[in-house]
Amino acid sequence: MFFRLLLESFVRQRRRKLLAGVAILLGATAVTAMLAIATTIGDRIHSELSVFGANIVVTPKAANLDVKIGGADIQPATGNAYLHESDLAKLQTIFWANNITGISPELIVHTDATLNQHSASTDRQGIPVDAVGLWFDRSFANHLTTGAPELHSWWKLEGKWPAEPHQVVVGSALAARFHVHAGDFVTIPNYQAPGDQRNLAAPVYTITGIVSTGDATDNKLLLPLATTQQLNNTPDAVSRVEISAITMPEDALARRNPDTMSPKDHEIWYCRAYANSIAANIQESLPGSDAQQVRRVEQSEGVILDRISGLMWLISAAALLAAGFAVSAAMATAILERQAEIGLMRSLGAAKSSIALLFYAEAGLLAILAGSIGYFLGSGLAAWLGARIFAGAATAAPATSHLMEPLAIFNPVLLPAVVGLALAVAIGGSTPSIRAALRLDPSTVLRSDA
Amino acid sequence: MSEDSHLESPFSAASGPPPPATVTFSRILRRSLVHRRARSLSALTALTVSAAVATALLTLYADLDAKLHHTFRSFGANIVLTAPSDAGFGAQPIARVEQAVGTVGHQEVLVAPFSYAVATTESGRPVVVAGADFDAVRRLDDWWQVDAWPPAWFAAQAPAVPPPAPALVGQRAAQFLGDAHNVTLTFAGHTIPLQIAGHLRTGGDEDSRVYIPMAAFTRWTGLSATVLEVQVPGSAARVEATVASLQHEFPGARVEPIRQLVEGESRIIDRTHALMYAAVLLIALTVGVSVLATLSASILERRRDFALMKALGGSHRHLMALFLVEALVIALAGVVTGFVIGSAAAFAISELNFHTATLPYVSVIPIILLLNVAIAAAAAFFPARVLRSLQPAALLRGD
Repeated sequence: MFFRLLLESFVRQRRRKLLAGVAILLGATAVTAMLAIATTIGDRIHSELSVFGANIVVTPKAANLDVKIGGADIQPATGNAYLHESDLAKLQTIFWANNITGISPELIVHTDATLNQHSASTDRQGIPVDAVGLWFDRSFANHLTTGAPELHSWWKLEGKWPAEPHQVVVGSALAARFHVHAGDFVTIPNYQAPGDQRNLAAPVYTITGIVSTGDATDNKLLLPLATTQQLNNTPDAVSRVEISAITMPEDALARRNPDTMSPKDHEIWYCRAYANSIAANIQESLPGSDAQQVRRVEQSEGVILDRISGLMWLISAAALLAAGFAVSAAMATAILERQAEIGLMRSLGAAKSSIALLFYAEAGLLAILAGSIGYFLGSGLAAWLGARIFAGAATAAPATSHLMEPLAIFNPVLLPAVVGLALAVAIGGSTPSIRAALRLDPSTVLRSDA
Repeated sequence: MSEDSHLESPFSAASGPPPPATVTFSRILRRSLVHRRARSLSALTALTVSAAVATALLTLYADLDAKLHHTFRSFGANIVLTAPSDAGFGAQPIARVEQAVGTVGHQEVLVAPFSYAVATTESGRPVVVAGADFDAVRRLDDWWQVDAWPPAWFAAQAPAVPPPAPALVGQRAAQFLGDAHNVTLTFAGHTIPLQIAGHLRTGGDEDSRVYIPMAAFTRWTGLSATVLEVQVPGSAARVEATVASLQHEFPGARVEPIRQLVEGESRIIDRTHALMYAAVLLIALTVGVSVLATLSASILERRRDFALMKALGGSHRHLMALFLVEALVIALAGVVTGFVIGSAAAFAISELNFHTATLPYVSVIPIILLLNVAIAAAAAFFPARVLRSLQPAALLRGD
């Protein structure tokens, strides 16, 4: 009997059910979409923030002091220590390997290059210029393609990055000074031992592109790393490594000095993705290295991440509140409309409890149905919005987006949460009107001049 | 049902004793709103919620850019001015920058002057020494991790033999300076005694430098500020405009925006903006539809009133006007309370998230007014077709 009543109620009062159902559906859609966006906004903004460059920098521990002003070396350091390029492979196996989204090693060589000369030359009277050896689209581990262009997304290239050892990209200021274009040539002398007096021919490099960076790199030559290692006669050497890693914002624990922590705190610190602990992990794995978080990037990113995701959470809360209000109002109206029905049932001898049960069952069923549909609609909407708004989020964080893909659209944790909320709101919203309807005298209701 | 004899006062039966002498539209309206207090109240609640949500979201949305640009201030300078020669920018560069930036309309501008020189340590190593205005640096470069900021230092204190200037030493540079407390640096034959006041850690080039007060630096090297780091909040276009006006003010200098900051900032702000816009639309739609459903259901429920009035001689148009005006009055009341509640909610969210207040925006009132009136009007008209086809006699008989 109970189920029949329930079924009949859905079949006969299609319009009323539709109204309340649409209210729940829209509420659940909005809440799911907002929550889905709020839970993934951190990763999305983080990959947007990667335009600010690396957040961890590794240098050799025993290096001389940099004498840099405005990004340019004033006095080239001599007899420097280097990191080993071959050691970088170890970064695949460290504890925080999965958090590393980009690696860009560099080796700077001070040389005398001759620009815009079309043939091989023995003329050593070139201009002094910095040649920077970099990785270009190097595949690292099995899922990560990384290098300097990926970590410096603000670099604007006309042409192509070098793919061969004898290709070079020229900084825009340098290119403008010597009127060179893609397709022209640069001669860079090979390495010669200090006592070597021979006049060797300098090999010719093809310019594949002109890069504009907006900083001191505009006055440099960009070459493949292996080429500069040869020019410097230091195979496997790297003078600096920039690393982009997914980190969590600092909290009180991260600000403490890890050396003075108790072993237990140290373990917790080590197992949280603070920039500091990832840097410490990298430093352990690369011999003779000193890894530091780039505080300008790291600290500011934390603040921005906090603010934007905080905003989204608060708006989700506001959406939840508003949808809750709207849905419970719709439920209340749907029941108020049916006072006559309640009066009839009571006059036919139905107990108050069984009437209440019937109405709660209706509301619950409606909430579960509409809530589930709303969950799927909302998840789809969030994915669509995310894809549209963050479209062309560029090269940033390929590793994470790869991992997040199946979870990105349907977050299974949200389903019970959203359906549960829909149930709570629907039942909570109907309670006052059910109680009010049951309190009324059936005969008054049936005379229907109440 | 012949009610024709009572036509002189058609609605007196509905409004109850004591019977009024004349029945005006406003009287019916007042009666209708007051008499069915519970129903009016629930309609008012619904329209207040919709107005409050719209107000809160629109207020936040209107203030979003300013708030986000403010947040991005933690990245420090976004424009760097480099003097054409070692002569530097001369006297009062900060005032000149502020004046130039003021013409573009920026309110808050931060300027930190720097000057650099390569000095040698006692052991003959080169080290970059920077003259800086520590107060300006503290405001501009929030991310500098400093254990103790150097105290203020005045060159005029002891003209003959100035006291050792306090220095802030980068954590890498510190490893190359012999003494942990006092060092002497040499620049072009002139020496300067320094007292190490604190250590600096940034993870950038600053780690390899020694920072000393600008006054001490100028007295020692004869150089004034050669680099000005400037921060102006605002979009990429405003930063470009500022760069142009600074270039005009300092013709020989190199004025460059820090490209990754300016581009990244406007990209992230655009994204957040779009996200917020979608959220505003989504939530407004949800609340709007739910409120519409609730209101039109409650009007539909008044079929019996409608039938009675119609039977008593009210025209369809007349009755629809009554419902409409009733809904509009409630909608207006909803706008008033909703604006207050929504502005308070926006204020609370701003205060909680951005730690700065968002004041009510009066300019959102027309939009929420339009929204609420549209919802109320739709709620009144939506049941019109159902009501038009009603047969008063059939309904009053109790079907």
